[in-house]
Amino acid sequence: MAIDGLIILDNFNRPIIQTSFQSTSPATPLLHIDAWTTALAKADPSPVDPVLHVDAHSACCHLQSGGITFLAVVSGDVDPLFAFAFLRTFIDILQEYFDAVSPAILRDNFDVVYQLLEETLDSSGHPLTTSPNALRDIVLPPSLLNKLLTGVGAGVAHQTPNPFASPIPWRKSAVRYNSNEIYFDIIEDLRAIVGRNGVPLSINVYGKVDANSRLSGTPDLLLSFTNPQNLVDCSFHPCVRLPRWKKDNSLSFVPPDGKFTLMEYRYAPGSFPLIQDASAGKGAMVTTKGSMTTSMTNKVQVPVGLKSVVEIGENGAILNFTLIAQTRSLEDLTAEFYLGKGAGGMSGVVVSPGGRWEVVNGVSTLKWTMQSVQAQSTHTFRGTFGASTTPRPSRSLHLHFTIPQSTFSSLKVDQLRLAGEGYKPYKGVRGRCVGEVEFRV
Amino acid sequence: MAGLNLNTITENASRLGMRLQETISEHTRDLAIGKTPGSTYLDTPEDKANIRKSLDSNSDREKLQAMKRLVALISKGRNVSEYFPLVVKSVASPSLEVRKLVYIFLLRYAESEPDLALLSINTFQKDLNDPNPLIRAMALRVLSGIKVGMIGGIVVMAVRKCAADNSPYVRKVAALAIPKCYQLDNNHLPELISIIQTLLRDRSPLSLGSTSVAFLTICPTRLDLLHQHYRRLCRTLVDVDEWGQVDLMNLLMRYARVMLPRPIVTMRADAGEEGEGEEEVDKDLELLLGCVEPLVQSRNPAVVMATIKLIYYLGPPSSLPKVVQPLFRLLTISKEVERCALVYMRIIARRAPHLFAPFYTKILVRADDSTPVKRDKVKLLLTFLNTDNYQALLREFIDYADDVDDQLVSESIQAIGHCARLVPDSTQQCLTALLNFIKSPHDVVVSNAVLVLKSLVQNQMRSTSISTSPKSTISIVSSLAYRIDDIRHPQARACVIWLVGQYAGVVGVGEEPKLKDVPGVGGGIEGIALWAPDVLRKTAKTFIQEDSIVKLQIITLTAKLLVLNPSDRTLTLLARYVFSLARYDLNYDIRDRARMLSSLLGGVLGGSLQGVEGEFEERDRGGVVLRREQVKLVLFEGKAEIVQKDSWLADDQAILGSLAAVTGREMRISDHYFPDWLEEGTESSLRDTEDDKPQVSVYAQATPARAFASSSNFASPVVLTPASGPSPVGSVTPATKGRYTDDLEKFYADEGTDEEEEEEEGESEEEEEEGEKSVEEEEGSEEEDEDEESEEESERQHLVRQTGYS
Repeated sequence: MAIDGLIILDNFNRPIIQTSFQSTSPATPLLHIDAWTTALAKADPSPVDPVLHVDAHSACCHLQSGGITFLAVVSGDVDPLFAFAFLRTFIDILQEYFDAVSPAILRDNFDVVYQLLEETLDSSGHPLTTSPNALRDIVLPPSLLNKLLTGVGAGVAHQTPNPFASPIPWRKSAVRYNSNEIYFDIIEDLRAIVGRNGVPLSINVYGKVDANSRLSGTPDLLLSFTNPQNLVDCSFHPCVRLPRWKKDNSLSFVPPDGKFTLMEYRYAPGSFPLIQDASAGKGAMVTTKGSMTTSMTNKVQVPVGLKSVVEIGENGAILNFTLIAQTRSLEDLTAEFYLGKGAGGMSGVVVSPGGRWEVVNGVSTLKWTMQSVQAQSTHTFRGTFGASTTPRPSRSLHLHFTIPQSTFSSLKVDQLRLAGEGYKPYKGVRGRCVGEVEFRV
Repeated sequence: MAGLNLNTITENASRLGMRLQETISEHTRDLAIGKTPGSTYLDTPEDKANIRKSLDSNSDREKLQAMKRLVALISKGRNVSEYFPLVVKSVASPSLEVRKLVYIFLLRYAESEPDLALLSINTFQKDLNDPNPLIRAMALRVLSGIKVGMIGGIVVMAVRKCAADNSPYVRKVAALAIPKCYQLDNNHLPELISIIQTLLRDRSPLSLGSTSVAFLTICPTRLDLLHQHYRRLCRTLVDVDEWGQVDLMNLLMRYARVMLPRPIVTMRADAGEEGEGEEEVDKDLELLLGCVEPLVQSRNPAVVMATIKLIYYLGPPSSLPKVVQPLFRLLTISKEVERCALVYMRIIARRAPHLFAPFYTKILVRADDSTPVKRDKVKLLLTFLNTDNYQALLREFIDYADDVDDQLVSESIQAIGHCARLVPDSTQQCLTALLNFIKSPHDVVVSNAVLVLKSLVQNQMRSTSISTSPKSTISIVSSLAYRIDDIRHPQARACVIWLVGQYAGVVGVGEEPKLKDVPGVGGGIEGIALWAPDVLRKTAKTFIQEDSIVKLQIITLTAKLLVLNPSDRTLTLLARYVFSLARYDLNYDIRDRARMLSSLLGGVLGGSLQGVEGEFEERDRGGVVLRREQVKLVLFEGKAEIVQKDSWLADDQAILGSLAAVTGREMRISDHYFPDWLEEGTESSLRDTEDDKPQVSVYAQATPARAFASSSNFASPVVLTPASGPSPVGSVTPATKGRYTDDLEKFYADEGTDEEEEEEEGESEEEEEEGEKSVEEEEGSEEEDEDEESEEESERQHLVRQTGYS
């Protein structure tokens, strides 16, 4: 499994940095950039296929992040997943180094990015060192202090203290902090599809535990949850000892230094697949009933409902959307509705305080935003738009929202025990939910 | 707290910077660069001179700045090879920072400027002894990147030296250098293989992944070298780094396919419908499958996929359910991963759709999916279709027909057609849905619905020819016929007209008397369904405006109706009108078709059209004239045989986890083709090492077992190893064991002490360990028995193989 090369493009699709592509012909990068821009121009409204077939030998796997496009060139029988996994890792490393990824930041730190590329990817295309902790020893992260010190000539003498000295590949050796703290962020993501009749067709909650460790020495941690039995399909950072999780659902690990994702899971209350009987029901009446009972037992509910009327005429359509927030209050609510090709002349009104609408993506997508939505409140959008032919709007309205300080699974950290070091760490835990719901209209 | 600290530090630093900026005037330029380095790195002639000057200077700071500029220029894609000699001089700089950048520069240009690199080869060789592992690794990377055949020997020597380095990082780089040496000069193969053998003995898991890469690149067929390492590699798999896991699993998969016996499934007479039978899995294969199982919990999608691939290709049927949930998990990681994982899921789901079907709600199509994802999801849903879930799936497909993506619309409408075919109960619902689509204002919906309806009608007419009443099917045709004005898409229109012609006569016979009874209908035409002539009338009227594909069908319809009832006056007139229009059409296809059909009809019409000008006079030209029945045969028969090509299950050959499967095209076939199982695996005793010997029996009973192992080495016919007696590796291992024991292992061992602190768990832990020991003892005693029983054993296995599933 090897990647032929990596190209980083800015938001105008001009290359910023690329690997040397020594094993392929010099035209390869150009071919792939061209394939990407062509595909981008063609694709509307649906997104571009992430794997582009370029020529008889190679394909181009691409990924966008922060206005930057990352292209990985693969060929032969390489698994494209390998390329995507590497791109994701590389982007995470960049984020770790520069806090954010944008064309301007990458341009300002040409040399660091290039060093990172050389260290993470061997010239034959095999990943070398991708653990952020080990990389920090080899490639110094840019910091204001560093820049100033090199500026006055003081930093040159600074030698990295023996890279690869740590016995644990993912953790730096000899870390020291004055105050020892570790923070856990439990972030859950609700993804649901709600049918025309308001019955949820599929609800899934995916969660992850992000950690930020600032602990000295080599701490051996044991983290237990109060209610881990409903977590399924888990995946872990390599530092987690898997047998221990299998035994009693607690996490035993020596954390890397800094930010990392400790685990990911799916929240599945009850042992049966969610909402199965609702969507496999035998008629409208039965399904409504079924969804009532399943949502009662499953506890996961879509925290918002939608009533929609879309009347399509010969040369336009009338829209009427009503959002009903349930028991939770939501923030940063965004509803998007694709109006179809050739739509225009949108006019409408949001009947609720603080809500506003705009048309984005040229003239084709209606975007309705609300900063915050109280629990048990109702919000309405009414509008019309015209079109040269019979309009063909999207069959669904997409809703994004966040719920701060709360999780769907109400996962709680029971306790954090530390072994191997003398101090008592401070632990902080907080939760957050984001939701993405597709309402069929 | 820490945040506060950091703040104060940066604050102090910036204050310091401010003061410095004020006081030290000569450094202002550097400070400016410090703030925005990238934007100021321009390659103006002035700048070039500056870089040269800085590189020549004695100051490390200046050199560092110059190197940073060079690296920035490289990353912009500029060719800065002109600085090569200057840079090489700095390779011995005392500053680690400078040397690192120098090596990054050299890595880039060593391959394109081999002659220059050769000049400084001594420096690189010297750096192989540097105390810093990073510099040693860099030196080796540069050295192996110089593409000059002459230095092949030196490079191999360097690789050999680094392969025994005490830093696992350097060993890893050494492993990656092996394929490069091989490409440079393949005469070094024997020596490189021996280096690989050294690396395979490595106790640290870090370099094993790269060793696998080297192994698969230079000697993929020498799997016999792995015998002694196989079991240890399996056990260390979990500790290898993520990327290494992928490569190591690929290697172990090849090994298992070539060296281990295929899992045998013996079907029992009372086996359930799922095909469950008794399975016999080789112990070593079981070890591998057991060791990879935790890896499905990796955060890295590539590792998860490699694991799934291994279980899918090596595991017995009963292990397949283990891959289902991990595959569904992959779908949620990101859009890109979902795109690939769906393709792989299609390949696996074809083998066992029942495992996936209960979770179909996880792959419902979302409106913002990309086109290939939508396509794969619809195909998957169709694979999952069964009598229990067809209602829900059908509703989904009907919903998807409203999508804005034309491809999804056509896929889903075709899926409805398949649904009607696969689940007979659903046929009526499918037809209703399809007939509703015909009313849609959107062309793509209508045309797809018509095409699917056509193939459904054809299929139904064929399967239910006489036994059941085809009335429902014919009612589809009639409702299509009544809606001919609404169907505007040329292909759909042509299709409807063809259907009308084809089935106009079928009901005519049955319905005729009824129609005659209806007052005011005017009787219709004998032998033809009521709606058919009306379609002809309407289309004849619009003939000139029609698309040529529709025109062709109108002519055919005319001919068919005429054959069904040659005596009708109105029909004849209509036919004459159509044929004369067609005769002067611009398109020669249409003219040809009209001429062909009119001469075919010559015999049918007899004298009834005598005297009319146009086509029908030309029948006097002679040749064979067909009778009406014969013409009917020509026009109507043999049409229903067209079966819609089933593209759904076409990609049988796709390999899991490959680019070709995802792009759906033939990619370059690489050397890593996937081997099939051998007829019989190799002797398992080949894989016995000192480590595997049970502790207890080492002194008392191990000797006969070992003797057996060595003798079987000679006996086994499949083995390619030139090994004589117990492998040298086995004898070396205990000696090296102590030396290579890494800190990491100690660290993992510490887990045990950690556990002892918790009192209630300690006991169970001990019990487990005891259990393992006893299992090992059993294994040991089995090995002794094997000596006597091996012949019987192999015979029995042979029998099972013959009778059982293979």
